[in-house]
Amino acid sequence: MGEAHCEPDASRQGTLVLDDSGARPLVALIGPPNSGKTTLFNQLTGLRQKVANYPGVTVEKHVGRVSLDADRTVDLVDLPGVHGFSARSLDERVTRDVLEGRMTGLRAPDALVLIVDATRLESQLMLVEPVLELDLPTLLVLNMSDELASRGGRVSDAALVKHLGVEVARTDARDGVGLDAVRDFLAEVTRRDTAHGRRLTNVPRGTALPMLDAFAARRMRVREIVKEAGYVPPGASSVSERLDHIALHCFWGPLLFLAVVLLVFQSIFTWATPLIDGLDAMVSASGQWVGGALPDTWYRSLLVDGVWAGVGSVVVFLPQILILFLFLGVLEDSGYMARAAVIADRMMYRVGLQGRAFLPLLSGYACAVPAVLAARTVDDERDRLATIFVTPFMTCSARLPVYALLIAAFIPDESLLGPVLGLRAAVLLGLYGLGIIAAVGTAFLLKRTLLRAKPSSFLMELPPYRVPSPRSIALRLLDRSRVFLRRAGTIIFGVTIILWTLTQFPRSDAGAPPIDDSALGRMGQLIEPAIEPLGFDWRIGVGLVTSLAAREVIVGTLGTIYGVEDDSDDAVGLQEALRRDLTLGAAIGLLVFFVFALQCMSTVAVMRRETAGWKWAALQFTYMLLLAYVGAFVAVRIF
Amino acid sequence: MELRLPSIPLNQTVELIHIDLPAEQAEPLMERGVLPGCRICPVRSSPSGDPIISVDGALLALRRETAACLCVRLLSASGVTSLQDAS
Repeated sequence: MGEAHCEPDASRQGTLVLDDSGARPLVALIGPPNSGKTTLFNQLTGLRQKVANYPGVTVEKHVGRVSLDADRTVDLVDLPGVHGFSARSLDERVTRDVLEGRMTGLRAPDALVLIVDATRLESQLMLVEPVLELDLPTLLVLNMSDELASRGGRVSDAALVKHLGVEVARTDARDGVGLDAVRDFLAEVTRRDTAHGRRLTNVPRGTALPMLDAFAARRMRVREIVKEAGYVPPGASSVSERLDHIALHCFWGPLLFLAVVLLVFQSIFTWATPLIDGLDAMVSASGQWVGGALPDTWYRSLLVDGVWAGVGSVVVFLPQILILFLFLGVLEDSGYMARAAVIADRMMYRVGLQGRAFLPLLSGYACAVPAVLAARTVDDERDRLATIFVTPFMTCSARLPVYALLIAAFIPDESLLGPVLGLRAAVLLGLYGLGIIAAVGTAFLLKRTLLRAKPSSFLMELPPYRVPSPRSIALRLLDRSRVFLRRAGTIIFGVTIILWTLTQFPRSDAGAPPIDDSALGRMGQLIEPAIEPLGFDWRIGVGLVTSLAAREVIVGTLGTIYGVEDDSDDAVGLQEALRRDLTLGAAIGLLVFFVFALQCMSTVAVMRRETAGWKWAALQFTYMLLLAYVGAFVAVRIF
Repeated sequence: MELRLPSIPLNQTVELIHIDLPAEQAEPLMERGVLPGCRICPVRSSPSGDPIISVDGALLALRRETAACLCVRLLSASGVTSLQDAS
């Protein structure tokens, strides 16, 4: 589960040209989950990593460049953590395809770096045999060898070299110790004079041996090698044991779990607020400054009312997303996330999911796109499909601006439970709850219909607790920011400009037409009959259409429509205008619509790629739209 | 008499003799070192009562439904069989 963070955002559709480098060798970095692979990758490539995106294939990987000296560089590809190549999970399929050179857009690797956690050498070396069968120059990296020594274990490198026929290096990737040996190996690869790895045995791959026997035979050979190498396993980590005594305690464990979830939520809503307000003030101040500096022409209106308002309203959510990912990073790297998954498993199992779905679902509160990618760690294919199908019901941060606007406009600022709970907060909580109910109900339904299967299994390795590396987390946050800002700079920028343009035509002598007669207005009136039963007029309809790109766009859209109409584009003016056009019932209907509907092209795109086709993406979109329509229809009649 | 893992008290090391699961579900276990012949020690129970086992120095969390499919035997009185004998 520690691999989810390195996955890039699916909205990066740019294709990185990887074949520009016939001369530059490609080295694949592989290893079991939690062996320190991504840490080593980041240490070796620094910030020079690029995210490669392969259109048409449900795959993303990190490719980075390692400069060895003035004129020698190596491309390093970071693969998902796997225990084997049986291609049971998506991660395993990706790894196998890359290693065998069958990945579109990526050449076959010239050499391999296999990294293992030296404190768990015996089980981690199970991967060594399938890797050696690839017959490529291979470096075996014994990571966390300081911990092995400090806990009283040892192993002979020379014996491993002799028995495996590969080079061996020791590292502590987190502290950057031992990297020179890895770089030496990479330098050797550029000279192309490395000795090839040799096969451990003569048993051919895809062997006719029954699987159990094949595993048992492999196990025996690994055990033999480990014994020959004088491996003494480390003593139990007493710190980890003591921490687990609390984290998995029958009373304190669930309590700690609840506290962690609450802390994450609290941080998203409370701590992010001053940062968001500050950013908001900066955006509007700079917008005013730009507006003041420009002459009163059409492009001033485009720039200030369109671009600044539209893009700015989205950029302000950056702090919230970064805080969430900071927490997720710390929880994952410390090893707690694996414990949380164990605690959540029974609960999830009851609704038809499993413990590994906890991380994707929690990530879904920030953004469904990385959450859908994080679901790759769910090793059962049906469980993974069910997880990503319900992920968009988690209230992502893009819904917040919509909720905030409508609640502020229609729900009175009254107290519900004394000073503890206001009516507005209660409505907000209710919307979050509604999303959870929809997710649970949908998962329940799916596992009894389309994804019916024998009960899946759950298997979770609990790594020792470790102090997270600030550098590694900082790199991830940087990556997140880039992804988010790129999205704001492309999709939302584009939608804003198109919308603004549609309000300006057909032009008469007097300039822009009244909004009802504009191209946008006419398009809105065309779809009005479809949404009339929900109590929405054409303006909301236009908002619903534009928010198909991304939910938060509706706020900017309504701002633009009412702004062009009224010449008052501030938030209070927008709220008043909404109160004039919508009944309370329709407003609640609109909120319910946003709880259910999948208005996010990025999520649809990532769904299509992660399920290798349109079937699931289309089904999910239709299902959520129907639910949204029915939900709003009912809500408008109740309230 | 056949013993199953859930009947083993905490901190008692046993030897796995057989995984009573279809290949598809047994494979992930085997890849993590849970193979016939290996030593398993239940070290803890999760809040929901699912076992956490130690195998090869690594901690693995399972569901009790899975654990019930692991057939084990107690180690002989001497308690020590060599690694080769174990499989």
